[in-house]
Amino acid sequence: MIDEQMAVFIGSGLRLAVPIIFAATGEMLSERAGVLNLSLDGMMLMSAFAAALASWVTGSPLIGVLVGVLVATSVAAVQAFLSVTLRANQLVVGIGFNILALGATTFLYREIFGPLSRDPIPGFAQLNLPWLASIPVIGPALSNQTGLAYVSIIMVVVTWLLLKYTSFGLAVRAVGEDPRAADKAGINVARTRYLGVLYAGALAGLGGAFMSVADSNTFTENMTKGAGYLAITAVIFGGWNPWYTLGACLLFGFATALQFLVPALQLDVPVALLLLLPYLLALIAIAGLVGKSRQPAALTLPFERGG
Amino acid sequence: MALLELSGLTKRFGSFTALDNISLGIERGEVHCLLGENGAGKSTLCNLIFGVHKPDAGTMQLGGTPLHPRGPAEAIERGIVMVHQHFSLVPNMSVAENLMLGRAKAVLKPQDIIVRMGQLAAEYGLQVDPNVLIEDLSVGERQRVEIIKCLLGDPQLLVLDEPTAVLQPDEIDALLDICRQLTVRGKSVILVTHKLGEIGRVADRTTVLRQGKIIETVAMEGADIRSLVRSMVGRDVQSAGSVLAATVDMEEEAAAHPAAGHASDANGAPLVPEATGQAALRLSDLVYRDADGVIKLDGVNLSVNPGEIVGVAGVEGNGQTELGWILAGLASPASGSIFVGGRNLDGCTPQQITEAGVGIVPEDRHAVACIKELSLAENLFLGSINKFSRFGLLDKSARRKAAETMMREFDVRASSSDVPMSGLSGGNQQKAVLARELSLDPLLFLLAAQPTRGLDVGAIEAVYGRIRAARDTGLGVLLISSELEELMAVSDRIVVIYRGKLVGELKAGSFSREAIGSMMSGHEHV
Amino acid sequence: MKTSKLTSSGPRSWSDLVPLQVLVPILSTVVALGIGLLIIAATGGSVTEAIEAFWDGMAGSDYNIGASLNRAISLGLVGLGFIFANRANLTNVGGEGQLAIGGMIATAVALHGAGSLPFGLAFLVPLAAGAIAGGVWGGLAGFLKAKRGTNEVISTLLLSFIALPIVYWSVESFHLLRKPITDLSSLPESPEIPDPTKLPLLFPDNGSPLHIGLLLAVLAVVVVWLVLKHSTLGLRLKAVGLNETASRRAGLRTSFYIILAMVVSGGLGGLGGAIMILGQQFYLTSDFSSGYGFDGLVVGLLSRGSAVGVVIGALLFGFLRSGSINMEITAHVPSAVVLICQGLIVIFIAGSAIFTNRKANR
Repeated sequence: MIDEQMAVFIGSGLRLAVPIIFAATGEMLSERAGVLNLSLDGMMLMSAFAAALASWVTGSPLIGVLVGVLVATSVAAVQAFLSVTLRANQLVVGIGFNILALGATTFLYREIFGPLSRDPIPGFAQLNLPWLASIPVIGPALSNQTGLAYVSIIMVVVTWLLLKYTSFGLAVRAVGEDPRAADKAGINVARTRYLGVLYAGALAGLGGAFMSVADSNTFTENMTKGAGYLAITAVIFGGWNPWYTLGACLLFGFATALQFLVPALQLDVPVALLLLLPYLLALIAIAGLVGKSRQPAALTLPFERGG
Repeated sequence: MALLELSGLTKRFGSFTALDNISLGIERGEVHCLLGENGAGKSTLCNLIFGVHKPDAGTMQLGGTPLHPRGPAEAIERGIVMVHQHFSLVPNMSVAENLMLGRAKAVLKPQDIIVRMGQLAAEYGLQVDPNVLIEDLSVGERQRVEIIKCLLGDPQLLVLDEPTAVLQPDEIDALLDICRQLTVRGKSVILVTHKLGEIGRVADRTTVLRQGKIIETVAMEGADIRSLVRSMVGRDVQSAGSVLAATVDMEEEAAAHPAAGHASDANGAPLVPEATGQAALRLSDLVYRDADGVIKLDGVNLSVNPGEIVGVAGVEGNGQTELGWILAGLASPASGSIFVGGRNLDGCTPQQITEAGVGIVPEDRHAVACIKELSLAENLFLGSINKFSRFGLLDKSARRKAAETMMREFDVRASSSDVPMSGLSGGNQQKAVLARELSLDPLLFLLAAQPTRGLDVGAIEAVYGRIRAARDTGLGVLLISSELEELMAVSDRIVVIYRGKLVGELKAGSFSREAIGSMMSGHEHV
Repeated sequence: MKTSKLTSSGPRSWSDLVPLQVLVPILSTVVALGIGLLIIAATGGSVTEAIEAFWDGMAGSDYNIGASLNRAISLGLVGLGFIFANRANLTNVGGEGQLAIGGMIATAVALHGAGSLPFGLAFLVPLAAGAIAGGVWGGLAGFLKAKRGTNEVISTLLLSFIALPIVYWSVESFHLLRKPITDLSSLPESPEIPDPTKLPLLFPDNGSPLHIGLLLAVLAVVVVWLVLKHSTLGLRLKAVGLNETASRRAGLRTSFYIILAMVVSGGLGGLGGAIMILGQQFYLTSDFSSGYGFDGLVVGLLSRGSAVGVVIGALLFGFLRSGSINMEITAHVPSAVVLICQGLIVIFIAGSAIFTNRKANR
């Protein structure tokens, strides 16, 4: 009984972590380039809706994911235009997009699916890899995932490689730390930041699409429930490092999953404590009470040549 | 055909014309010096060549083809590189990473850069550890990285903007050697400076800029340094000694004008107008460690008497900055004591220090002395706003009157006391800071750290006039400067700081450039 | 006098653009609302019916005007809090959490003892408690900024996300504020606060819900305006925000001013939350603050640091919210359309800042 509950707990913890892993990994790269996308939640929500719609229309969840990524990346392109080219306040723009995304998806959902639709949406099957399933305790939880869940881990590796071993990654880090120096070294600051934001958008798109097409096979209003903010929190808690960020996402996923486990185990722990735990941990981390966490020096600062 | 041909270049910022119809050719294989006071347009000209700014009028040609870089990237592509006054290195990345920035192909190959660094080290003696973070390097080492970065791409033209300001004497020699070697290999160098000594040693030709215009371009063989000075400042410098020495490498001049006559007895110890018997400032065994625990001040003992200017000589980075911070109350010493007028100031806040009669003209005017976005009046009364407070509300007209009085008294020129500090020239900013600090009551001691840095000749005269006048009324002054000639011209006594220790002391009349120079580089004075 | 000539003639050409700062928000609002109407028309809704319902909801009756103004009060207080902290160059994005904590503590005080206090103290004490609670919540971020250098954008955001579950907890737990389950209701919410703790109405005779919170808000606007524009405190906050080292050298206790700015900022938000509960909602629910803090933040951000700008923004968003609720109820147009408009207004105004802001940037 306990074992079964543990397996369910681990499985749901991982599933809850996956969209955050996608979004946080992309956001981490964008923040390393100096752009904070408070609009991450909006990007995910837009993608979740677009993926659900495209999957429902075409019957192909893969097309759904592609459309979701496309939509989120388009939002990111507008966000980049505003915050890089027009040097608009990144926070305001982000909040604006979140309001817009909530309004647009809610409105379109009601118009297209009707207010009470619970039609299932074509989604991905779980892979059930036998060699993974044979691992004791965590095996079933690991193997009972859709292919997209594994992609999230691949994206962490890709992002890490990008940052550490490519000139693009070097440019991203330089632009986020000292854009003036990067500019004088011949780096195109605006282009690098655009690419960073688009990358965050594409990955947030994958995360959003995962929620509707791979995880729940349905769309609900405001279904991200602040997952984008949680992802931003994970980046902070992870100290802008891809692996620590991954760890933070997993931690947050399991903390959220505890909500379901705690009542099942008949433990008397307020759910609220579990809900605020990720944010509290991140606050403790950013306050420098645990280890040393330093944000990119030019985070949220627009760059203008001259002087 | 010159390598770089500039014709009719004009650049305006708002209504201010920074460069006015500049035409100039830079030959292959020459070191071409740009000479001019601050604000003459030297840096602007470099920034146009390097694509940081676009000219409003005029054309540039490089190697016979038009040059209009839309950014540094395009300039670098054309073989133009630049070492800026402010380094453009990313502090928390390694040397190798900084060198690969903007240059590497898709995948980073640190090994290639390390090999190339080895070649350059062999050719020019430019040695740096590729794996160290920039933030852990000294200023001189950082500049070395900048130069290596420039040489990586095998450039045609190297632009150096005031490169020697931060260097120690032997580092300057090495830098000038590199310039010569580059020209031997057919490359051209533009060297921006206001130090005539360097020009004499390295330049093939020199162009003098003043107020955005070219005054003259002269070949250096057989040129008269004095006439260059005249072109640069636009008049004969009358008040001799200190000012000229500040600009020109002429120690005889400075030595001939020791601190202007003031009250002092036969032993050289100044007369104390109010014979309190207490030193204006006394430091006893002052030790300071930075955040990483490195010792920056190592047992400093010093006293400054009332009516005395004590100069602190030393290569930058030997603890002068930290001393300034401690005296301003912005940093706490690890041990030791500070006394002002006999009163112990250990552990005092900046406000308590001010109230004890300490005026501070900090080294970094923009970061510490004033807030450039605030108005002149707001800056003049930054620490004493309460004087103009009625029920917590600000009496702006009373403050304006007081500010205008102070502006008249200290000759601070601005259209009104409401203009933002950033709208004032460097000289007027510094006069405002002096006005504020010298108006303190009581005032027993003044720290002036690099008080003339970045100022033009007229302002330098005014600043020293003020400091001397204050000294003559009985104020004790500690003058920190990296310009040896200035120190020798103004101080009554000079102490030399090396690696956080005072290593020597000379009295007015016995100042010698060689002696101070050798103590500055760590050799004991004999 | 050469230098003065150079500096004084520069900005003159930009002063021609000042009307832009008024024009851009108006144009943004008009265009966004126009897009909203297009959406309604495109999806087969009746535009005239929607507009009527929208107008009716905003200002169709004394009641509706009062409700809209009540909304604007809380948004305005959060907005004022934002510009107060911003004077010290601090960006308080945690209005939502400060509002929520303020509302929760005000409820707790109103339920436990304040009801029996005389002379209006019955509602003044819970209001003060709410403001203090919000101040503590904001001050926490100020403390972390001053003592540990923690970026206040991130800490206030995180503190918001910590505050919301705490409020949820307080109405979930019978040990805290949750009302006992009865036959009629088992919702997770607090009992209704006692009548004496409710804010007195300004016009009790005509059915308008407008309460004396309006007077408090007007007072807050005047005080914030005076402090920021004309006081020594305002100048000190500005100095600390612009250059901490120089301010420290000039003798200002910079940590004190950083914390003070955040305490006042959070306190205004907390007051806003307390007014929401005591003025109109009367009992605490877990999501009572939903969106108000972020709307208030946007009001503050768009006001460009001016108290008058906050008033205009708060009125705009307050009336928009009221209108959208009525539009959904009577014209069956999803209120999500107004969310779309709101989002667009924010994005338009933020995006055009570069054109209206030039002067400030130089």
